[in-house]
This record gives sequence, C-alpha cells and structure tokens, in this order.
Amino acid sequence: MYKAEVRGPLILGNKDYGQITRDIIAPIDNKTPGWWKVAMAVSITLASIGIFSLYYTVRYGLGTWAVNNSVAWGWEIINFVWWIGIGHAGTAFSIFLLILRQKWRTSINRAAEAMTVFAVMCAAIFPAIHMGRVWLAFYIFPYPNTRGPLWVNFNSPLFWDFIAISAYLLISASFWYFGMVPDFASIRDKAKTKAKKAIYGMLAFGWTGSTKEWLRYEGLSYVLGGIAAVLVVSVHSIVSTDFASSVIPGWHTTLFPPYFVVGAIFSGFAMVMTLMIVIRKYYHLEDYVTDSHLNAIAKILVFISLIMGTAYTTEVFMAWYSGNPYEMFTFFHNRLTGDYSFMFWAMVICNAVIPQVMWSKKVRSNITALFIISLIINLGMWYERFNIVVTSLSKDYLPSSWTTYSPTWVEIGIYIGTIGIFTIGVLFFFRFIPMIAISEVKSVLKPTEISEKH
Amino acid sequence: MNTTHIIGVFDSKSDLLAGIESAKSKNITIDEIYTPYPVMEAIDALGRKSRFTTAAFIYGFAAVVGVLSFLYYTSVIDWPINYGGKPTNAFPSFIIITLVLTILSITILSLFTFSVRAKIYPGKKYILPDERSTDDKFIILFDKKTAGAGFEAISATLKANGASEVYEKEV
Repeated sequence: MYKAEVRGPLILGNKDYGQITRDIIAPIDNKTPGWWKVAMAVSITLASIGIFSLYYTVRYGLGTWAVNNSVAWGWEIINFVWWIGIGHAGTAFSIFLLILRQKWRTSINRAAEAMTVFAVMCAAIFPAIHMGRVWLAFYIFPYPNTRGPLWVNFNSPLFWDFIAISAYLLISASFWYFGMVPDFASIRDKAKTKAKKAIYGMLAFGWTGSTKEWLRYEGLSYVLGGIAAVLVVSVHSIVSTDFASSVIPGWHTTLFPPYFVVGAIFSGFAMVMTLMIVIRKYYHLEDYVTDSHLNAIAKILVFISLIMGTAYTTEVFMAWYSGNPYEMFTFFHNRLTGDYSFMFWAMVICNAVIPQVMWSKKVRSNITALFIISLIINLGMWYERFNIVVTSLSKDYLPSSWTTYSPTWVEIGIYIGTIGIFTIGVLFFFRFIPMIAISEVKSVLKPTEISEKH
Repeated sequence: MNTTHIIGVFDSKSDLLAGIESAKSKNITIDEIYTPYPVMEAIDALGRKSRFTTAAFIYGFAAVVGVLSFLYYTSVIDWPINYGGKPTNAFPSFIIITLVLTILSITILSLFTFSVRAKIYPGKKYILPDERSTDDKFIILFDKKTAGAGFEAISATLKANGASEVYEKEV
C-alpha cells in the first residue's frame, strides 16, 4: 500500500540526466524558428503602439485619457491590477508548491517565474504613468527632501503598493535568476562556441555545483521562498486596500484582500496554463510538461473558480444583507443590471461558470479546450477588474456627478503596448533561457529510487 | 597553485552515495563533491552546515526594529502631522509597511550573504574539475596530499562501489 504511486512519473520517456540537459537546452542551440520571428514582429508592433501612446500621454497630459472627476481610475488601474494578478502565478507556483513539497512544479516553475517578472514590469508602468507627471515619480521615495521637508505618507496603501511592488519585482526576479544559475552553468559547460561559453559563463556567476554552493543555494531558496509566500499574499492584499480603504460603495469591504489574492492566483494559473501549452506544443516538451501537469493545473483552476463564485455571491449577498442603500444600488442597479451589466455577467460566466466544465476528465485531457478555457479565464479576470473599478466610480453617492466611462485610443494603446512588452519578454525567454529548470527536473527524475532507500 | 587530485566519476545518485560511504569507511578524506542537482546526503557526508536561516532571522529582526524606528522618527520626531487629533505614532497602520520593508531587507541581505558565502558573483574565476558534473555525472574529488590513501587504493574502492571512471588531474 505504501508503495502505491499517488502520481505517475513526472518525466516521461525514460530520460537520463544527459538527455534532460540536451532536450531542454535544444531550443537555445537550434536555429530561431520562423514562428518565433513572426511572433516577435507582432510583439514589437504592439509594444511600439504602447510606447507611442505613452509618449502621447506624457506629451499632452492625462487629458488624453477618458478618466474624469468621477471615474478617476480607468483602464490604467484595471490593467495594473490585471497584470499584477497574472504576475502572482510564478510565485504561487514556486513558493506555495515548494512549501507544499509538490514535486510536479519543477517542470513549470521556471516559465511561471519568467511570466511573473514580465507581468510585474508591465503592471508597474500603469501607476507610474497615472501619476501624471511621471518624471516626478521619484517624489514617492522616502528621503529627506527640500519640499517641506515632508515625508511620504507611510499610512497610505498607495505608498505600501509602491514598496510592495518594488519588493515583489526584486524578490521574484532574484528567485528566478538564482534558480537559473546552475542551468546557465550546464549550458556553459556544453557550449560549442566561445561566445556562447563566455556569455553563459558570465550569467552562471562561476557556478560549479559543489556541495558548498548547493548548501547555500538551498538555504537561499527556502529563505526567499518563505518570505515570498508572505509577500504574495500581502502584495495583492495591499492592492485591494487601495480600494477597500476608501468609502466608495462596492469597494469598502473586508472581503477584498482574500478576494483579490485568490483572483490573482486564478488569473496567474490560467496564464501559466496558456504559456505551458504553447511551450509544450512549439518546443515538443511533452515529456516534461505532461498531460498530468496540465490536469493538475486544471484541477486547481476548478477549485479556485469555486472560490471566485463564492466571492461574487458573497459580495451581492452582503450588499443586500447590510441594508445599505448605496451598496444595494451599486450591486443591484449598476452591476447585476444597468449600464455595465454585460461586464458583470461576463465576469461570472468566464470565471465561475465556464471553468466548471473542467470537472470532466475529458475536458481536462483536451489540450485545445484547456487552452481556450485559460484564455477565457484571463478575459474574465479583466472583466472583473473593470467591474470593480468602473461601476463603483461611475455612480457613487451624488447623482449629479454620475458619469459613464469608455477608454480613449491612448488608454487602449498603452494596454496593447504592455501585451507587446510582455510577449517580447516571454519570446526572449523562450529563445535564450532554459524554459524548464534543468537541475530541479533532474532531482525528481527517479523518485522511486529515492523512496526505496528509506 | 594547482595540486594533483583524484577524481571519481559516478553515473547516478545511488552509486555516488555508495562511493561516499565506502570512502568514509576506509577513512579516505573527501575534498569536495560536485553534483548536477542538490544531493543532501552528499552535503551531510561532508559535514557541511549552513546558518543561512539564522542569518535571515537576524536580518528580519534588525529590519523590523530599523523600520519601526524610522517610522517613529519621521512621524513623531521629525515632522508630526495632526490628523484630526489622532496620535502621531499610528502604530497599527505601520505594520503593513514594516512587513513589506522587512521582506525587502531580508531579500537584499540574503542575496548578498549567498553571494559572499557561496562565492557566487559575476566574473568569478571558477575551477570545475570535470565539466560533466553540471550535466549528468556525479563527481567526488580527493586531494592526493590529504586523502590518506593513494590512487590505486581510492580507485579500487570507488570502482568496487559503482564509479564509472577514476582518474588523476591537476586542479
């Protein structure tokens, strides 16, 4: 009974250690594929649109956006929260599954962490540009200055956000990078050209794989892992307090921190699924990212989808149960019905209803279906943020200040641009970095051999 | 200065562990072990210990004290602001920023500690006895002077316990 395998082999195809190294670094050694060049051209075009829109905003000011006195936060905050949410997956994968000793994470964590770094970079653009005068963004740093000498407001969630995102970017980037150091050394030692040996040698920081290095390496991963677990929860909780500490109906609720954190992990896992399906298909890494991996992610998504459904229901219930007329109005006349009811129902259907089809094993083993559902979830999570940001602001306490909001081309352009920046990052990752953590995959190659010894 | 080393090459973790065991039973001193992924048993066999977590705790503790003192200085001593008569030392609302800044401090200091202690930094000149150890081989390195046995004895012991190759090299 104790020898029963709970999970099948994590890596298929009877690989040996050498084969794993060769398989994973093959995309770096091979010629750049045609589809990669096309995807890069498209991404650069999208990024250029974004850069032009950013230039236009800086040149002519925030008047080029559709935000106004009532809807003071528009697409920029929606997209900020959306990207930050996507950025939670890497750490969720690396940290939570590391702490829970889930060995199947080893095939996926590298790509998830890469995604985190690029998504957080995209997210950071939005609050910065939303400041209006982005060239004065350094005012937010707490240092003794000649402007008062006032300090920044240490009690403001907006300042917490700035620090939390900076910390998150640093910690996820360093976790990602130091995870890659042993793999860079593998590439260095197998490199056939001098240039490659020099470049990857520089990136490998002189790694040799001695016990002295592995001991500290393990220490570093557990320390960073432990504190990043706290950070994952606190970053999105802080993002939610940007909303929840206000008095706007629909925002002022204690449900927000867990609701945001779970939502973030939901969209992040969905994006991981999208990315892993692409990697698997285009780089033929089916032996590493197996059906069982996708099945496991799908099961997590179904579970989180249920939590999302519960959160949506709880919000509506609490609006009714509180007896607060403004809350009631926001939920029953400006979300479930009203100008933006499409966004509300699209959110419910994409996030809480459609993912339920993954209860079926047939769906979980259909890669095309999983790919489509993962995209639908990310779309749904965007609708959720639109729903939160715009509906509450558009109609608050004073009917005289009610207004509607739809974005201008500049706002849409910046969003498109961040998608381009994200995909450029991901494409560079595909091309030049081992997409799967080589040393970690090797460590889970023969779990049976290890368990027999104990 | 290069010295002659004896290098034992193993194909799998179980062979490596058998090799380490046999060398230790014959009182042969192992200089270092190189593996393609972390092998905790090898680390234990060399008696290596790390105080990384203790260091991280100290960093965290120092950061908490530092951040709270800084917030007290800015909000109470340097530039107190009266928000409707609320106390200037608004401690509960300092907790979140303290938590985040503590995490940031631990991260930076831990990375620095790792770099210093494991000697992993950009541009480092490294010595790798056998390049295959970052790919698919497990390597045990013996310093010929301090191993306590000659090449023949070490080679015979390792080969009897699963070593695929044993050779001498100036490292």
